[in-house]
This record gives sequence, C-alpha cells and structure tokens, in this order.
Amino acid sequence: MNRYFKLVHLEVYRFRYILFGLMAVTAIVQIAALLWVSRNEVAQIQAEGVAANVNRVLFPDEKLSFAWAIFSTQRWFALPILLSIATLGLYVFLIWYRDWLGRDTFIYRLLTLPTARRNIFLSKLTAILLFVFGLISFQLALLPIERILFNMAVAPDLREPSPFTDAILASQVFKRLLPLDRTQFLVSYGFGIIAVLAVFAAILLERSYRRTGILYGFVYLAACAVAVLYPLYALGLNQADAYLYPEEVIAIELAVCLVVAAASIWLSWRLLAKKITV
Amino acid sequence: MIEVANLRKRYRRRNVLNGVSFAVEKGQIACLIGLNGAGKSTVLKAIMGLTPVQEGTIRIDGRPVGKETYEKVSYIPDRLTVPPYMKLWEGLRFMQDFYRSWNPERARELMAFFGLDAQERVGNLSKGTAAKFNLVLGLAPDSDYVLMDEPFSGIDLFSRENLAGIFSSGLIGSRGVLLTTHEVDEIERLIDKAILLRGGTVVRSFDCERVRDEEGKSVVDVMREVLLA
Repeated sequence: MNRYFKLVHLEVYRFRYILFGLMAVTAIVQIAALLWVSRNEVAQIQAEGVAANVNRVLFPDEKLSFAWAIFSTQRWFALPILLSIATLGLYVFLIWYRDWLGRDTFIYRLLTLPTARRNIFLSKLTAILLFVFGLISFQLALLPIERILFNMAVAPDLREPSPFTDAILASQVFKRLLPLDRTQFLVSYGFGIIAVLAVFAAILLERSYRRTGILYGFVYLAACAVAVLYPLYALGLNQADAYLYPEEVIAIELAVCLVVAAASIWLSWRLLAKKITV
Repeated sequence: MIEVANLRKRYRRRNVLNGVSFAVEKGQIACLIGLNGAGKSTVLKAIMGLTPVQEGTIRIDGRPVGKETYEKVSYIPDRLTVPPYMKLWEGLRFMQDFYRSWNPERARELMAFFGLDAQERVGNLSKGTAAKFNLVLGLAPDSDYVLMDEPFSGIDLFSRENLAGIFSSGLIGSRGVLLTTHEVDEIERLIDKAILLRGGTVVRSFDCERVRDEEGKSVVDVMREVLLA
C-alpha cells in the first residue's frame, strides 16, 4: 500500500507542470473573458443609460447577473476546459507510453520494483482520476473567485444576485462537466472511468503483443463499446414499445458496465504480470 | 542460486531462446557470451520477468520469480532506468524509497568511485556517465545477485577500465553476477564461468579457470572454436 501511494505521488509529480499550466490557462482565459465582457456591458449600459443588450427573456430585470456573465462568456469558458479534456485524453495514452519511449526507459524500473505490478496500473489510474477531479475542483473553486471579480467589475446598482446553480445552468459545458443531478454525475464520470479502464487494457495489449496487439487493442475497445452501448440502444430505454421496463434496462446496463470494468482490470493485471514485454 | 531450465521463447516466428539452461551460484561471476541476436539480453529480461517465455522455469534460490525477487536480484540493463527529468540524487532517493535492500552508504561510495555529481540531471548524462550511474543503481542495493546487460557497451577505454575495476573491488562482494558482453577481453581474467549462446541455444558452458589450466585456452579461444565453427 505504501509503495502504491509512492507511485501515485510519482505520477502526480511527473504531471505537475502540465496540471498547473492547465489550471493557469483556465483561470487566465476565464477571468479575462469575464472581466472583458462585464466591463464592456457596463460601459455600454452607462453610455446608453439602459441595459439594452441584456437578453430580456433570460434576464428580465435588465440587470447583469453572474449567470448572465457565464452565459455571455461560455465559449471562452469552454476553451480551456476543452483544452484540459484533450490534454487528459492524450495523457491517458502518454502515462504508459512515456515510460517506454526515449533513451531512458523507466518501464524497466517500474516493472522491477519490489511491489505487485497491479500497483503500477492502479497508480496510473488513480493519477488520471486525480487530474480529472483536481481540474474540476479547481473550476469549482474558481467560480466563487470569478463571482467576486464580477461583483468588483459591475456596480451594485447594475447587478442582481444569482445562485451558482444558475451560473452552471447558463453554460452548456458546465451543465455537462458539473451535473447538478447526482445520478447524472455518477453516469457521466462512471462511463469516463470505464473508458479509461478499457483504453488502459488496450494499451497493455499493444505493449504485450506489439504489432498484433494493436489489432487486439482495437478489437477489445470495439467489443467494450458494443457491450456498453447495445443495451441502451437495442433494448430501448424510455421507448413506449420496449419489451423491458426502463429500470430493467438500466439494471442490465449497470451490470454490463461492471463486467466491462472488471474484465478490463483483470486483463490489465494479467498482462502486466504475465505478458508485458519491454 | 539462479537456475534457468529449458527456456524457450518464440518471437515473430523465430526461436529466440531454444531450451536455454544454466545456473549461476552466489559468489560466482558468470558471463553470457554470444554474437548479436544470440538471445543474451532476452535471457536476462526473462529472469527479471520483463519478457514472457513459452516454456521453461526460472528459480532464484529455489523460488520462482516474484516481487520479492527484485529485492534479491539487481538488474543493470543497457539503458538508464530513471526518468530524464530527475537529478541523480532524486534517482537515488527514488531507489531508497522503493527498495528495502537499498544501501545508501554503498550508493555514496559508488558515486564517489565513479566521480558522479549528484546535482547533474539524468537527461544530460553522456553515455559513459549514464552507464556508471546505472551501475550505482544496480550495485548499491544489498542484493544477492546482479544481472548486467552489456555494461561496457559504447563506453570509452578509460571508463571501461574504471567499470572493470568494480569487479576486482569490494563493491561486488560475495554476490553472484551474470553479465552479457561483447568485450570479453576486458573481463576475461575476472569471470569464473562462461556460457556460450548461439541462436538461442547454450552451445557450451564451462569453468574458465579449468579450461585455462587443463586445455590452455582462453575464453576468446573457446569462443572462436565454438561460435565461429
């Protein structure tokens, strides 16, 4: 266990500059966009005397709110978030391949550490989850700061209070990234974790069987995708003429997801223990 | 004792190892000798569980290879096994963090022996210096056996003499050593046992001193006879 935590620390330490870089880009782009749009709007209101540009349907009081600011800047807000998602998506592969590539092949050392090899797998998985939830936590921590900055940029008589839930619902990206419904949160991130597990297994198939392993990896990923998506589409979730009740389809889907996750973990551990080649 | 029995490995429709068997005892320096592609490095990797084999058994002091093996056996591959962003002292700390057998006193001694600067970054090391640091990482633990893959490869003459010096110093001690090398001349007088590999098969295994005494032949003479036959 002790060595597992040390390996997690090592993985986080190796990614620290990229992680802090993504956080910095997120903070800078979002704050700059928020201040720029808010100040522009305030200047326009002051020039015209009325809040002419405020969307009257969404914000009928003709006052600026933090939710309005998020709505108006959502493309700029989405940009660093999409950059973070793309970076982490790429890093799911690099977290393994970087140990094999280059002059100094760290995988020799990792595989000959006096600890169970599954700890290498678990530490890399934990690191990816820490990066994902670390960035989400950072975004959640950034929102109150952004609200304070918004309040500083917009005079009290021009703004109205809005709860964070409104701010989250005002952005398409936030709605998906920070679902307000607990079930939706579990579904979204659960599928994400299963996808990471399946990709890890595919990478280890490639690392174990090399050229043939590329084919095995693709076949495995395709099989996982079919297994996970089949119950949702073929059994008819929320369709009036479906043979099964929605609860039954969800139970089947949950069972399939658990089987795919367990199979990916078992396969990865077995490959690491018996088949991996440096 | 490291016991390798009937190792067989096929890779891309080729027999890389074809029934390799030998044993290395503690306190013995054994050398796997063969031309390029003979399977020397593959044998070392198989012992460390870094490549799967289709058949055969490997036992270290009577036990199969497992996580405890890595405390008992140090492996020095032909490349550095520390990430390039680390400084040498960070690499040493990493080893100390993970290996109970790590001996920091010996690590300091080895760093001084090779004249290495702990503040240097691993990625900036020349090939020769990297090989020396590799030896520090492999020899500092209180392990019972040391496996070395081409420790003299690509290293200049004086560094090679320096490296060969560790075999006659107390840094190897009573450990069993299994190494592969092309440069047999450098260490011929130091090795106890030679295992000649050709095409993944052990073609001859012999006690070097006995062959010298009884047949009046050096290891290189036997190599010529057997490998070039």
